Amino acid sequence: MIEMSGLNDLLINQPGKKLFLLGNEAIARGAIEAGVRVATTYPGTPSSEVGNVLSELAKKAGLYFQFSVNEKVAIEVAYSSAISGLRSFVFMKHVGLNVAADPLMSIAYTGVRAGLVVMSADDPSMFSSQNEQDNRNYSEIAHIPLIEPSNSQEAKDFLRYAFEISEMEHIPVLFRTTTRVSHQRGMVELGDMEKREEVGFFKSDPANFVALPVNSMGLKEKLVQKMERLKAVSESSKLNRIETYGSGKYGIITSGEAYNVLMDAVSKYGLDVSVLKLGFTNPLPEGMISKFLGEHENVIVVEELDPFLETRVRMIAQMHSIATKIFGKLDGYFTFSHEYSPDTVAGSLSRIMGFDTKQVSVEIDATALPPRPPVLCPGCPHRATYYAVKRAVKMSNIKNPVYSSDIGCYSLGVYDPYNEADVMIEMGSSIGVGGGFSNATDQKVISFIGDSTFFHSGIPGIINAVHNAANVILIVLDNRTTAMTGQQPNPGMNINGMGDPAPEVSIEAIVRAIGVQYVKTVDPYDLKSTLLAVSGALRENGVSVIVARRECAMIRDDRMRSKKEWKTFQVNPEKCKLCMNCVEKFSCPAIFIEGGKVEIDQNICDGCGVCAEPYVCPFKAIEEVQTA
Amino acid sequence: MITNIIIAGVGGQGVVTAGLLLSEAATIRGMHVVMSEIHGLAQRGGSVSVDVRIGEVYGSIIGRGDADLIIGFEPIETMRAIARAGNKTQVIMNSEKITPVSLSMHDKEYPSNADLTSMVDKSIKIREINAVSLAKKAGSYKSVNTVIIGAAIGLGILPFEKDDMLSALKNRFSGKLYDINREALGYGMDEILSNQSVSLS
Repeated sequence: MIEMSGLNDLLINQPGKKLFLLGNEAIARGAIEAGVRVATTYPGTPSSEVGNVLSELAKKAGLYFQFSVNEKVAIEVAYSSAISGLRSFVFMKHVGLNVAADPLMSIAYTGVRAGLVVMSADDPSMFSSQNEQDNRNYSEIAHIPLIEPSNSQEAKDFLRYAFEISEMEHIPVLFRTTTRVSHQRGMVELGDMEKREEVGFFKSDPANFVALPVNSMGLKEKLVQKMERLKAVSESSKLNRIETYGSGKYGIITSGEAYNVLMDAVSKYGLDVSVLKLGFTNPLPEGMISKFLGEHENVIVVEELDPFLETRVRMIAQMHSIATKIFGKLDGYFTFSHEYSPDTVAGSLSRIMGFDTKQVSVEIDATALPPRPPVLCPGCPHRATYYAVKRAVKMSNIKNPVYSSDIGCYSLGVYDPYNEADVMIEMGSSIGVGGGFSNATDQKVISFIGDSTFFHSGIPGIINAVHNAANVILIVLDNRTTAMTGQQPNPGMNINGMGDPAPEVSIEAIVRAIGVQYVKTVDPYDLKSTLLAVSGALRENGVSVIVARRECAMIRDDRMRSKKEWKTFQVNPEKCKLCMNCVEKFSCPAIFIEGGKVEIDQNICDGCGVCAEPYVCPFKAIEEVQTA
Repeated sequence: MITNIIIAGVGGQGVVTAGLLLSEAATIRGMHVVMSEIHGLAQRGGSVSVDVRIGEVYGSIIGRGDADLIIGFEPIETMRAIARAGNKTQVIMNSEKITPVSLSMHDKEYPSNADLTSMVDKSIKIREINAVSLAKKAGSYKSVNTVIIGAAIGLGILPFEKDDMLSALKNRFSGKLYDINREALGYGMDEILSNQSVSLS
């Protein structure tokens, strides 16, 4: 969340004023400047802050904002607004676009009336994702324009440009950032504000908006023509430019974050290069590229992940019979995997251009350091649930259980000492995959899903499991928020993305309506009740559901702090028998060992008190700190 | 002229806030700043690091060996960041130890300073400060990151002055909170100025 300049600064109408903005904050500002009337998303890092900002500012900015149930619905809502004449913006993380890909492919055919920009925040190096797919490829599959900014200023400016392109040809535009662009903070000069349409009107035109085969046949041809016309726009676009350093001996073609790390390497080593920096990357400026190729004996393509530009540059060279030597990933100079750094890019360039890279880093064996992977927070209700489930499985003498997990903070249950994630693939997969195990094996299957993920895409898996007589225990880890991405509301809550009161959708009522008989709701802080509910479910056949409901510790902590009702726990060394159960099995980050004694870090403990329950400490050695 | 700063610590310690304060002080001076602000999987308790780059830079990633300053909020995390240090890198380390769960759950204790430093190249000079006690002296544990920032300014290698940081603090805090942070900043500076000893080698 923006802290330095205050969120309201994103609303000020002072062209030329400079703010220090996160890429995602700059994008939110870009949407406001562009006169966006409808913005939708399903939260996903690295795109999340765009939604956090727009949710906060929606009313003041005069736009409608929605945290949609998933990315597919988000794109559908934005689409209907755009074909009703309202500029609309939908944004998501890269894997979210897989969920939204079905509508994307066909709204490209129907086109839009007012501008529609679809943002995909890709995650090279997978800082918070299950894969690092390169979503630039979607622009090729869907036949839609692609825009790639490199920094916060471009993120804002290029987004406005993307709306212009969208309205020029009435086509959705793909706006692609990566983690380093969305999460880079830099100076941004504000622009002016465009007028915002208040209310849309949808004029019926079934031949253009009903994607029956008879209509789609013609729409496909129109789509190809639109992209053909946009070639000339890309050719003269200010987003594609050439910068020359030194004698400009080597040509380099680049885009996005790769431009940043390239330029840091160029400055550090004083390289003689001419850089074709591309921001409008589908359709590519073919004439500009062929001319650039013709002017250099050697051209290097520097881009992260897939050889998206490289294959097209090689194609252009072939079509124009240009003999320039082209270097990239396909000949092994650059890697296909992970984000680049100034070091990796300099390493590859040095092999091509023949200069020395000076490595002056110190020698330290960082692998010998104790690792500090992400962990569940102190007071996290999921820790209590995982602890109780593990105990129940052990007490019920279940051999070889299969734990099918899902996307959320609770994915961290994979780590020691819980080890309650054997498989985890994508949003909503826990129950579908769990049902499959029940077909394929005789093993007991326990699936975990968060509240937001349940609504996002878990429900069809439950219907499938019930209808096909699967044996699965589904534990819904309902922490009353979309926690991992920064506490956004979801349909299980009584508030929506506009901050307005909203009907709560009941998880219990949904699973009962599907036909689940065994439905129990427990407070995971109550270890005994949780353990009993899980033990009961382990004796059941068919699909059983346990809703482990307790708000996210971070929300509780904020409330307790503001009410000054903070408490903490400590270990009474006279009662502690050093059984080590709390450190080895419960493993809260606040509990540690020093001088052979178990201690609780008073700066970290959040006072949940679960460790003081007899299931964790049978000796009643953990006590609340009494303040005078 | 480029100044590269790596700030490393544990999620929840205020690492990002420290990066924002350093960035803001530089922008008050009219300098170009780029900062990385990666949010990983955990909200609290995991390793966190922020790169702040001041001057004519493009990307937010500091290359290996190119850091001018490493600010470690926690000893193990300081060592992890030192893997990216070079021969010109200066290091400030807060002595506050936060035991990783990966140790506790295997009944292990936090490594000794001697064990930690045995991993490090002796050419690296580490200045250790007890920022927690100075923060408490200033009036609040929460001013720990302001103490550490004070220490960084005290080194005299940052391209801005104490007054720029006071302006940055004033934009964020008011009344008593500002007073606590002003004190904390001063304590951090004094600590480095009076104690240039290198405690870890």
